[in-house]
Amino acid sequence: MTFLMITGRTVNQGVTVEKKTSAAYAEETSTCFMHEFDMLELGLADQDTVMLTGVCGTVVMRAVASGEVEMGTVFVPYGPYANHIIAADTHSTGMPDFKSHEVEIEPTDEEPKTVHGLMEDLGGLAYDR
Amino acid sequence: MNELLIKNACVIDPLRGINAETMDIAIRDGRIVEEVSGAAEVIDARGALTLPGGIDSHTHICGTKVNFGRYMSPEDMRAGRTPRRGPLHATSGYSVPTTYGNSYRYSVMGYTTLLEGAMAPLEARHTHEEFLYTPLQDTMANVLFDGNWGVMEAIRDGDIKRVAAIIAWTLRAVKGFGVKLTNPGGTEAWQWGKNVSCIRDPVPYFEVTPAEIIRSVVEANELLHLPHSVHLHCNNLGTPGNYTCTLGSLGLIPDLNRKRQTLYATHVQFHAYGGSGWKDFCSKSEPIANFVNMRPQIVMDMGQVMFGRTTTMTADGPMEFNLYRLHHDKWSNHDVELETGSGIIPVTYRRKNLVNSIMWAIGLELALLTKSPWQCLLTTDNPNGAPFVRYPEIVALLMSKRYRDAEFATVHPDTAARAPLPAIERELDWYEIAVMTRAGQAKALGIQDLGKGHLGPGAEADIAIYPLRIDEIDPSIDYRKVIEAFGRTEYTIKRGRVVARRGECLVDGSNATFWVRPKVSEAYDMGKDPDFIEKFDRYYTVRMRNYPVQEEYLNRNRCIETEAEI
Amino acid sequence: MIVKDVVCPFCGCLCDDIEVEVEENRVVAVANACELGTTKFMGEERLKGPILRDGDGWKEITYDEAIRYAADTLLSAERPLLYGWSGTHGEAQCVGVHMAELIRGVIDNTSSVCHGPSILAIQEVGHPGCTLGVVKNRADLVIYWGSNPIDAHPRHLSRYTRYADGFFLENAFRDRKVIVVDIRRTQTANIADEFVQIKPGGDYAVLSALRAIVQGKTETIPRTVAGVTREQLVRVANLCKGAKFGAVYFGVGLTMTRGKYKNIRNAIELVSELSRHTKFTISAMRGHYNVYGSNEVNTWMTGYPFGIDFSRGIAFYNPGETTAVDILARKECDAALIVGSDPAAHFPRRCLEHLAEIPVVQLDPYPNATTAFCNVQIPVAVTGIDAVGTAYRMDGVPIRTRRVLSTDYPSDRDVLFQMYALMQEVRGR
Repeated sequence: MTFLMITGRTVNQGVTVEKKTSAAYAEETSTCFMHEFDMLELGLADQDTVMLTGVCGTVVMRAVASGEVEMGTVFVPYGPYANHIIAADTHSTGMPDFKSHEVEIEPTDEEPKTVHGLMEDLGGLAYDR
Repeated sequence: MNELLIKNACVIDPLRGINAETMDIAIRDGRIVEEVSGAAEVIDARGALTLPGGIDSHTHICGTKVNFGRYMSPEDMRAGRTPRRGPLHATSGYSVPTTYGNSYRYSVMGYTTLLEGAMAPLEARHTHEEFLYTPLQDTMANVLFDGNWGVMEAIRDGDIKRVAAIIAWTLRAVKGFGVKLTNPGGTEAWQWGKNVSCIRDPVPYFEVTPAEIIRSVVEANELLHLPHSVHLHCNNLGTPGNYTCTLGSLGLIPDLNRKRQTLYATHVQFHAYGGSGWKDFCSKSEPIANFVNMRPQIVMDMGQVMFGRTTTMTADGPMEFNLYRLHHDKWSNHDVELETGSGIIPVTYRRKNLVNSIMWAIGLELALLTKSPWQCLLTTDNPNGAPFVRYPEIVALLMSKRYRDAEFATVHPDTAARAPLPAIERELDWYEIAVMTRAGQAKALGIQDLGKGHLGPGAEADIAIYPLRIDEIDPSIDYRKVIEAFGRTEYTIKRGRVVARRGECLVDGSNATFWVRPKVSEAYDMGKDPDFIEKFDRYYTVRMRNYPVQEEYLNRNRCIETEAEI
Repeated sequence: MIVKDVVCPFCGCLCDDIEVEVEENRVVAVANACELGTTKFMGEERLKGPILRDGDGWKEITYDEAIRYAADTLLSAERPLLYGWSGTHGEAQCVGVHMAELIRGVIDNTSSVCHGPSILAIQEVGHPGCTLGVVKNRADLVIYWGSNPIDAHPRHLSRYTRYADGFFLENAFRDRKVIVVDIRRTQTANIADEFVQIKPGGDYAVLSALRAIVQGKTETIPRTVAGVTREQLVRVANLCKGAKFGAVYFGVGLTMTRGKYKNIRNAIELVSELSRHTKFTISAMRGHYNVYGSNEVNTWMTGYPFGIDFSRGIAFYNPGETTAVDILARKECDAALIVGSDPAAHFPRRCLEHLAEIPVVQLDPYPNATTAFCNVQIPVAVTGIDAVGTAYRMDGVPIRTRRVLSTDYPSDRDVLFQMYALMQEVRGR
């Protein structure tokens, strides 16, 4: 199914933002908040893993039901998971489309990667794994 | 020990009554001395005009609103830029240059001391941060009290000593130099989207009038024995017919100080308008100048307008909104809690516009009709009337009737019927120009005893040598040479060191900041006043302990202590 | 020992009433701060000393070695990028600008990916704003548009708006109306008097509709605009016109969505329009505690708030060209210095792929996502905890942070100044 992905700040993202290699930060920023009807449609229960596919890649997150999002949109806290599939085009403003990205979402058996794992996929080397 | 000897200088030093005498100036360790050793470095001035370093007693160069003028105007930043070169940093901007841009361009014109005309106390730290990056001039800041709640409440209670005490506490906290009133009462009314119409119109809720604010703050200023007088931007700036309001404001001022004026009225050009609207707008420079001629207690500055593009910025928020409604260009406004406000819009003054042409004439008329140059100082209210780089043209206009006539021929043809300028024959001389650009400022600011604005032994060695032999040129005819010379010194000397030469700055410097600490008795220390503390805690959004500007923000710390009468 | 009036170095609220209890040079308790601030003060495992990427591993090096490495790396770059800056003090930002100028680099701060579009809008139409205390003391109407303070600026509501009594409002909760405009029903929406839910991407249309109603052209409005009914739009417009003092606080919900700076421009023009009827102000909810300071410092030193390119010696500004995401995505820079931010967590993947290919030096107290891309990371003192310096609140009020702990970590300013001094030796003054 196609969704509009919105990213934004949350308290938990903020609380863990200075410990980005922690499990808590990974858990918060790999959460895909969805409308429960959309989850029903995809046969998802809370904490099930989902594969998000954007124009420039895929990433695995966990789905969580939320009353804050409308059907057809999903909310993902700012962080490396959402950015793994966000395009870098800024339309000459300097600002990527952090809040208006079309993504395909489907259930998956894969587990979300760690933040270290994501960084190493892109050519980095984890320090304190 | 650092010694310098300037030989064969043609000196005009009005504070010492010296008018075009050829002499030597000896400098040791940044100050002027009687004589130096034979080892001193020598500069031969070859008879060139030599003046104390220029002082701008009203300019907007540093702080929140100035920086916002840059922030919102990339088009202005692009209009003047230089690369990093040697010890010099890159600069940007034309009407609101970056701090380095301001400092280098003023220095090339021979200016060594600048007074920032309006600093909101809550945001004073910002002004001081920018001063740190204004390396080639000494700096000081006027502190805004026009909408200060504590001051207005004390006035309502009839307690002038408390007004003085609040001013004293604030000046010390924010490292300020002088007391500024910008549209007194109007900036508070503007926080409700309103304004005051003139000096008898009460401020909403506080129920004090601008007249009461002006009189009380003038009295408080003298109780504190501050070096500078109250610095007033009158109500009603820029509106047709406002000259009556200006005369009313000036009429409130008694003569309270033997050493200097009791009131400094700033950018009076913007306050000298006749007419009942834009259609019959006209100059009222004559009644204003006549009034000032009879009152030694008043000093004003011109606020000259020059044609071209600039940026207007003032604490007078409601005025800027009115201007925005005329120009429909971009508009910024910034109200400051419990204190004051500000507004910014870009403008272009055009020769083809009748109102702009009359404004241009009025500034010159004020300077030419005021008999004593000590009472009308040269400014553009930088950048409101024009960027300061236009000063040399203004000097030439004041010195040459021929130049004025040539310019007048290019302005709106109806100007002659609305402004007396064409009939004025007076041409100012070199001495008068020296008064209007440095000596008068030093006296008005009360800093001549600190060694500013003159070249006597003990004075700070801030000197401008212009590439000009006054015995060889007639400014009335050779006005182009005057413009060129005042735009580019042969040498600018700051604290005994050559900082600019023939249009090029040579060194990175470090400014000194002058500020005032009035000594008050225990009973009038607002830092210990329970009512003051309680209101501070309740209504400000910054803690009282975090409000004062620390001394870390001063490069060279020049604290002036005064003995207050409270 | 309890340190009072401490300044919180987390978000743009820059709360300065925090009380921090310190025992044996450790923070043991924090009072008055929100959850975000408390967590920051309580601290985390910091990097002990500088580290150097060594093949497939890491090794510890001295500060001198790290600083020398950083200076050499940047000096040998043809197009260095100096990015971050909102998580450090102004004094360090100033050294950063001088450094960018000396090595002809590009200096950009995190506002290019938060309120950069707001700045572009301000450069078109200006900004009628005010300090937070003006709102606290006067505003009888506050609008949060595309901002969610409960999550991002938790004390904004209690210090300045919903729950903050002021001089002209004895009972703020009763006398002050709060409107929330968002595409999501956020926590903040739940405490609003009026919640306006917009379809994603519909902000521009809704702002235009409100402008039309304020101008008296209600008849031109269709039955719904981006999911908002005409009745609600009229009600909101009337609340605005009827207010004695209205304040709009907008967030990245407007800057990051379709339309970007045009949304902000429209919001500012709505406020300028309302100013003809009553008092109205608008301000951005700035994120990092000193992101506004980086704009201020850059502006007085270079003329521009962000995205400044010194490659030609002069300061050159062209957002979309001279901004960090674009420069990385175009694989243009050949070295990067990162100070006080974590681009690897916040930039699109394409940018990270380039970071992996170039030498990167980072100044940051903590191991973070960007660490993985570093050749060298230099741990520094945390401004507001073990370093002092100037920060600018979201409304432009500058505050000097306090030190609550003393550690041996150097400040950002100290490290940068040493780097700059080494660079000056090579490049001359």
